[in-house]
Amino acid sequence: MRISGSYALPVTPERAYDLLQDPVVLAQCMPGTERLVRIGSDEYEMKMKMVISAVQGLFAGKVRIADQKPPEQFRLIVEGSGKVGFMRGDGLLTLSSASATTEVHYEGEVHVGGVIAGVGQRLLDTTAKIVIRRFFEKLAASVSQTAQAAAAPLSPPPPTNSAPDSD
Amino acid sequence: MIPQNFEYSSPNNLNEALALLADGNAKVLAGGMSLIPLMKLRLAAPEHLVDLGRVADLKSIREEGGSIRIGATATHYDIESSPLVRGKCPLLAEAASNIGDVQVRNMGTIGGSIAHADPAADYPASLLALEAQVRIASAKGERTVTIEQFLVDALTTALEPGEIVREIIVPVEPANAGVSYQKMVQPASGFAIVGAAVRVRKSGGKVAFARVGVTGLAAKAFRAARVEKLLEGTSGSAADVQKAAAVVSDGADANSDLHASASYRQQMAKVYTARALTQALSRAS
Repeated sequence: MRISGSYALPVTPERAYDLLQDPVVLAQCMPGTERLVRIGSDEYEMKMKMVISAVQGLFAGKVRIADQKPPEQFRLIVEGSGKVGFMRGDGLLTLSSASATTEVHYEGEVHVGGVIAGVGQRLLDTTAKIVIRRFFEKLAASVSQTAQAAAAPLSPPPPTNSAPDSD
Repeated sequence: MIPQNFEYSSPNNLNEALALLADGNAKVLAGGMSLIPLMKLRLAAPEHLVDLGRVADLKSIREEGGSIRIGATATHYDIESSPLVRGKCPLLAEAASNIGDVQVRNMGTIGGSIAHADPAADYPASLLALEAQVRIASAKGERTVTIEQFLVDALTTALEPGEIVREIIVPVEPANAGVSYQKMVQPASGFAIVGAAVRVRKSGGKVAFARVGVTGLAAKAFRAARVEKLLEGTSGSAADVQKAAAVVSDGADANSDLHASASYRQQMAKVYTARALTQALSRAS
């Protein structure tokens, strides 16, 4: 299944590039991420619990970042498997500056197998789009929150989010 | 396959049901046409099921103050065969008669269907064209939302934990209105690849009122407001219909799957919208 799309983030490409590779940020914004741990340079181990309607799946897998050309592009490779099936995604993210924002364009291929693909084929495309959209919405929201906090130093600092496990 | 073990409650009335659901951990079982297969495949493993099947006051279909009120556990068969719905809200009866197969229509319920929010389900197109309202109940009280507010995303609704759909409220259709639901059916599942629901009224040789709901095309069913605008005020000729239906897919992020690619779906949405518009106009007087 091919996926592609674009989202605008209200930051510079340099900042967007850093955010999209920051494990703390990714763990906060990726729906259902329970754990994201660095296991090598540009390689992370993850645990996700995806809940969509009545369906829930526990996935364990790896996230790898490759082909980095800061601040223009990088490749994100995600692999995971669980009782309900497995998935493998390979996507190229391209960042371009558009006035005060950064346009993030992604294009990639997702393969899903196992029970979930056998019975859920009809809903895979829609579900993938929802997960990606929620990720970018959450990322954009957390970015604008940080920007507001920086712009208004007199207001009390926002509560610090507890960082997920990392070593 | 056999589902994982779960606790099962079968309350006899609404208050009992809402009390059982109050902690937000139980899953509601209505007709079970989507949930039970998911449980058997172990894609869903709720720990506690609250079966609404014995809650009698959730099943009623009645007319009240210019509206038809359909209880959440009314089955698709109840709706397609109800003289009240057939006579006063024919679009919903037509949509119900197009769902799945006879076994599904005998068991499946309208509340269960909209709470599951499958992007290819039949009801949402009609409910959007009808500008329906959804009455939601929980142990804390009740609220009523529009169907547009209710359908948040694919498989996602405005229901909070502990809440259930209590009834669906649709307007009584004027006798001179014309309605139609046209769907391109996926033969194995019975779901719509695309489906278009239309309500029109004519006045003085012109289309005075048009409502169009589309399902299957995008992540959630939507009102095709631009199609409505283009049709209203015209004479409703074949050319007017084609021109209006041609914009139905504009701007839609179309679904794509094994059965139909995004561009095929966009094209079929135009074809089925045109068919529904044509039939509804021919039925309006």
